[in-house]
Amino acid sequence: MSVGRVLSIALLGLLMTQGCAFSRGTLGDEIRADAITAIKKGSSTKAEVLALLGAPDRLLQVNGRDVFQYYRYDAKAGSLLLIVVNFSRLSVKSDDLFVILNREGIVEEVISSKRTDGLEFRFWPFGE
Amino acid sequence: MRSYSSRACLIVLLLTLCMTTAACNVIRIKLNTPLNQDDVAFIEPGKTTLTDVVAKLGVPDSITDSYLGVVATYRFLDMKYSRVNFGYLLKPWTPVDPDLIISRTGFGIDAFELYCDSNWVVTHQSFLRQLSGPLFNPYPF
Repeated sequence: MSVGRVLSIALLGLLMTQGCAFSRGTLGDEIRADAITAIKKGSSTKAEVLALLGAPDRLLQVNGRDVFQYYRYDAKAGSLLLIVVNFSRLSVKSDDLFVILNREGIVEEVISSKRTDGLEFRFWPFGE
Repeated sequence: MRSYSSRACLIVLLLTLCMTTAACNVIRIKLNTPLNQDDVAFIEPGKTTLTDVVAKLGVPDSITDSYLGVVATYRFLDMKYSRVNFGYLLKPWTPVDPDLIISRTGFGIDAFELYCDSNWVVTHQSFLRQLSGPLFNPYPF
């Protein structure tokens, strides 16, 4: 076998042994959208919020009011392992919910956002 | 004969390229969506409420109390890491695993803070840090 052929096979072998890896991690329970919509500003009570969502991840006192904070983190990692060059990317986003209660224990405000819906597995580290 | 030598040269060149870029790692970690001045340009202190901000930027990562109002904080991270292991070049000729690694990590930790009065109207806004995005650069010196 010629040297050129050996080198070609070796090069081809390098290219063929590439690999991919996907990993995922979450922190916290999913915040159910139906539970959020069931909370009514001005009428829902603290007990109802607890029944719908469970105990909050954090309990804050802000501006003379109690604030229940619920959160969930989602992380997706993708890797392209080419042996000679490896690319990896980890994206982390969170869903958050704040329920603001007045001094009487009635829900005054509900603010939430779901960022994890658009989270994708990506390995290419360049660009946005 | 000539075509064989040029093909062999090409293969050697490709292998050399592979060897010199061996053990390169490029890694990026992002937390939430980075914000910049354009994203927060709509906020007018004294007029915009926290509800308006939430409608455009989403819920802040934390809300804390202060003597004069409420502080809402949006946090985000853009980390870039790159590494080259030149020791990989010696692997074919040595039984040990030599490492000659140069690497660099660029942290783009940032946060955007809003100060609201007792009526949830934004009175002040500022970026905690405004770091320019670090480039992928494995040179640590």
